[in-house]
Amino acid sequence: MTALLRVRHLSTSFQTEAGLVRAVDDVSFDLAEGETLGLVGESGSGKTVTALSILRLIPQPPGAFGPESRIEYDGVDLLRLPSRELRKVRGAQIAMIFQEPMSSLNPVLTVGSQISEAIRAHEPVSRKEANDRAVELLDLVGIPEPGRRFRDYPHQMSGGMQQRVMIGMALSCRPKILIADEPTTALDVTIQAQILDLLLELKERFAMSVLFITHDLGVLAGVADRVAVMYGGSIVEQGPVRAVFEQPAHPYTRGLLHAVPRVDRPSDRIEGIPGSVPTATAWPSGCRFHPRCSECMKRCEVDAPPSYSAGTDHTARCWLLDQSEGQRQ
Amino acid sequence: MSESSPGPLVAIENLVKHFPASTRLFARPSYLKAVDGVTLSLDRGETVALVGESGSGKTTLGRCVLRLTEPTSGTIWFDGTDVLALGSADMRALRRRMQIVFQDPAGSLNPRMAVGTAVREPLEVHRIARGKAARDRVADLFEEVGLDPSLTSRFPHELSGGQKQRVGIARALSIEPEFLVLDEPVSALDVSVQAQVVNLLTDLQRSRNLTYLFIAHDLAVVRHVATRVAVMYLGRIVERARVVPLYDRPLHPYTASLLSAVPVPDPTVKRKRIVLAGEIPSPRNPPPGCPFHTRCPHPLKDARCTTDEPALRELQPDRWVACHYAENPMEKPAP
Ligand SMILES: Nc1ncnc2c1ncn2[C@@H]1O[C@H](COP(=O)(O)OP(=O)(O)OP(=O)(O)O)[C@@H](O)[C@H]1O
Ligand SMILES: Nc1ncnc2c1ncn2[C@@H]1O[C@H](COP(=O)(O)OP(=O)(O)OP(=O)(O)O)[C@@H](O)[C@H]1O
Ligand code: SF4
Ligand SMILES: [Mg+2]
Ligand SMILES: [Mg+2]
Repeated sequence: MTALLRVRHLSTSFQTEAGLVRAVDDVSFDLAEGETLGLVGESGSGKTVTALSILRLIPQPPGAFGPESRIEYDGVDLLRLPSRELRKVRGAQIAMIFQEPMSSLNPVLTVGSQISEAIRAHEPVSRKEANDRAVELLDLVGIPEPGRRFRDYPHQMSGGMQQRVMIGMALSCRPKILIADEPTTALDVTIQAQILDLLLELKERFAMSVLFITHDLGVLAGVADRVAVMYGGSIVEQGPVRAVFEQPAHPYTRGLLHAVPRVDRPSDRIEGIPGSVPTATAWPSGCRFHPRCSECMKRCEVDAPPSYSAGTDHTARCWLLDQSEGQRQ
Repeated sequence: MSESSPGPLVAIENLVKHFPASTRLFARPSYLKAVDGVTLSLDRGETVALVGESGSGKTTLGRCVLRLTEPTSGTIWFDGTDVLALGSADMRALRRRMQIVFQDPAGSLNPRMAVGTAVREPLEVHRIARGKAARDRVADLFEEVGLDPSLTSRFPHELSGGQKQRVGIARALSIEPEFLVLDEPVSALDVSVQAQVVNLLTDLQRSRNLTYLFIAHDLAVVRHVATRVAVMYLGRIVERARVVPLYDRPLHPYTASLLSAVPVPDPTVKRKRIVLAGEIPSPRNPPPGCPFHTRCPHPLKDARCTTDEPALRELQPDRWVACHYAENPMEKPAP
């Protein structure tokens, strides 16, 4: 499979009153054609900042990209593309469903007119044509009576319906890549199941690649072909979904998998990971997971581990994987 | 501990809470039936979980039990006392024995109050301890919930979500209640921290013989902590059972659908989901007959479901179901 999107050494930081916040640090991954890559991690691990960086939606300042950072789409580096060119990619080639539907929908415009505007921003069509397409899209994403709901304001819709509108809007220009940032997090499981089915169906139908962001390992297992696990601003493990779930190579991934109770089998005691999730204003030294890691070694406290192979197409950033002489202690 | 009566610690009978909901001026007064005839009991030391979609009435029920919301009708027995018949002085005394931990760890703490003071406050309000004795008690409580006692002088914004939730638990425990309503106590927490808080609640329950009404969205967590489960839909309980039989063989189609919709963190398990059509109807205007009939996937569903409301029936010992066709439950989708 060829990579449609290649993210290389992405570092995104913010200048704040509390100092430099290194939200995303040296993140690299590929998104292949037709593939769903699941980006999983706990709050503050840098998932949303990674997604926003891909579309260059990071305000600069206070945000800044590291000099090594590259986002290659279709052979061009989006981070170095002139804004006018970038606007042709955004929405039309790469579209995003934002984490909070309510805050990304305009409360004073009807949902129909918002979709219609999104279409007209990219294509030279008449208002009438755009409106018709918007109604079609509402229908496509399973909104009953789309002609009537076209005139609804966002607050008149349930969370599930708002999320459908967001999906419809994201698909309005038939993007090649869909970035979905926690598209089901605020929803009940019954509605989550509907939205996941809808996303999978549309993905197949329009042959899209999807970057699916979630903190839910269950959702991840159901949608992803490959997964990337984020912790403390970097990807600590990535690989095919089965390899990562069955042979997790990073202690953090192992810890997370033990920490989730399962609905399909009884369990005695789930084991949490001691300590708390670090924040970007004060990352721990060395391996950022070391204060919570049960297998922490001396060097973990000082040196950040590089990425090691953990199998076919499977890598992890952990000193336990260092095979070189005299390094295991 | 006071002398206790035999039987359940808490018994809720036919509890109803209707909120006024007339939307238009001059419209006939209408009611939103948030809780509509719930019967439920909790034995000492057990965890009864309340599950169901958003808006099904879980929080309202929990608040009614503590009389933080005044029920419209029904009866609540706490250790043999008729709670709704109590005057305010007696109620205040009873409040010591029942507490609530709120869903949102941040929103339930005063942002301008040091967290140690927040935990000490109930001790002073209920005249249990003051001064140094109270401060020592707070330090002990912090340790019991796994917080470093040096954190007492911190303010809520200086703590992580998990730490704030522990403060909320310490505060609720400070006056040594016997019964806790836990309203989504771990929903706002990260997975790795959620497990710690779940284990803490389980340990505290064992060491203090606490009784929990555990309100939750996450059916996997519920399977893990609950003794019994009550499934709510539109203000009513549609199924109530012990945890093992409920998860192994749900008898109500709503329970079956809910359980099948929970994703499993295992890519080799391809679960067949029952995907419910549509959304939960508004409790302002619940459907006639079986409240679930508009979304029910049961193959036997028929005209009767749209006109006759199924009663909550005891099909097996300690196993209550409100479905006309509960004797023929839907097949569990093959895993
Ligand atoms: N504009 C900004 N200015 C300063 N810091 C920021 C900004 N945006 C994000 N951050 C910080 O970057 C870090 C990563 O945030 P991000 O939103 O990517 O996390 P996330 O993994 O998406 O978390 P969640 O699961 O809670 O959505 C956080 O510590 C956040 O506070
Ligand atoms: N004070 C109130 N006044 C009017 N209606 C209310 C009030 N409190 C709750 N309701 C309504 O009662 C119904 C039940 O709400 P409740 O908060 O108990 O549901 P829930 O099951 O706890 O939902 P969630 O899972 O979203 O927390 C909802 O329709 C809600 O809008
Ligand atoms: S009574 Fe009818 S509509 Fe209600 S749950 Fe049973 S089969 Fe479904
Ligand atoms: Mg995010
Ligand atoms: Mg609630």
